[in-house]
Amino acid sequence: MQYWINHNGVQSGPVDIEGLKKMALTSRAYVWHEGLTDWVKITQLPELQGLYEMAAEPIAQGQPMATEAQPTSGTSTVTTGQPVQQPVQGYDPVQQPAAPEPCPPTNLVWAIISTILCCLPTGIVAIIYALKVTNKYREGDIEGAKRASETGAWWCIATIILGILFLPIAMLVSGVS
Amino acid sequence: MRRSLIVVLAIAVLLVAGFIYYALDPASSSAFPSCTFLKLTGYKCPGCGSQRAIHALLHGDVAGAFRYNALLIIAIPWIALCLYAERWRVRKPRLYERVNAPLLIWLFLAMVLLWWLLRNIFNW
Repeated sequence: MQYWINHNGVQSGPVDIEGLKKMALTSRAYVWHEGLTDWVKITQLPELQGLYEMAAEPIAQGQPMATEAQPTSGTSTVTTGQPVQQPVQGYDPVQQPAAPEPCPPTNLVWAIISTILCCLPTGIVAIIYALKVTNKYREGDIEGAKRASETGAWWCIATIILGILFLPIAMLVSGVS
Repeated sequence: MRRSLIVVLAIAVLLVAGFIYYALDPASSSAFPSCTFLKLTGYKCPGCGSQRAIHALLHGDVAGAFRYNALLIIAIPWIALCLYAERWRVRKPRLYERVNAPLLIWLFLAMVLLWWLLRNIFNW
């Protein structure tokens, strides 16, 4: 697994878990890896427990992407006066960033590749679904975009499988070369 | 871990395929599959000539590749851009939206359909 780090406004990565161990991270660091929709605090990833020092001050709220890559810049803090001693375990709904959701995969690459290399008109359906994903996403219909994304992916897969299945049939049909 | 394995496998397959398409000429060798759509309907599909075009391209003959399948030559940089955007979809959402803009997808769709129609009329 490769991780990207945003620590005190400095972004680095990708690094693997061995590389993380070598970095002097504190609980103020934000982490992103493939599969996450947005940056999360390092304290929220169970597999990274013990790889960071607890920050001496309470953790500021906010997220690196939205605040010009400055996780601790100026935002008000929960002033208990006490340094946080224990890592914050588990899910904290207050600190979850409310970032806009990225566009679901349009599968456009696979639609293009299957259209050109599989010799079947069904690839064009996949391109039309890619179009549908973008349009729905732009209208703000995330659910619709996700559904179109999934359907489009199935059209890509179907085109590729049919392309392979039809090969022996095409070879049997003689004549046009 | 699993992702990097897939990438390594994909690169290995591409290298082997690249070597085969470099060493053998699909225009004269019968080892290559020919187009299903062409065989069944007698009409060329948008992808016909891709294998010969790849062979020409691997030999540095861009003009020859363009004559075999112009759409493929236009699509290759497009595919590269889409793959890049796809890889960074979550981290660079604005790039992703730009690459997948409706106008661009419409443009590609129109190109495919027009190319399909014209190549069968003019026998390109």
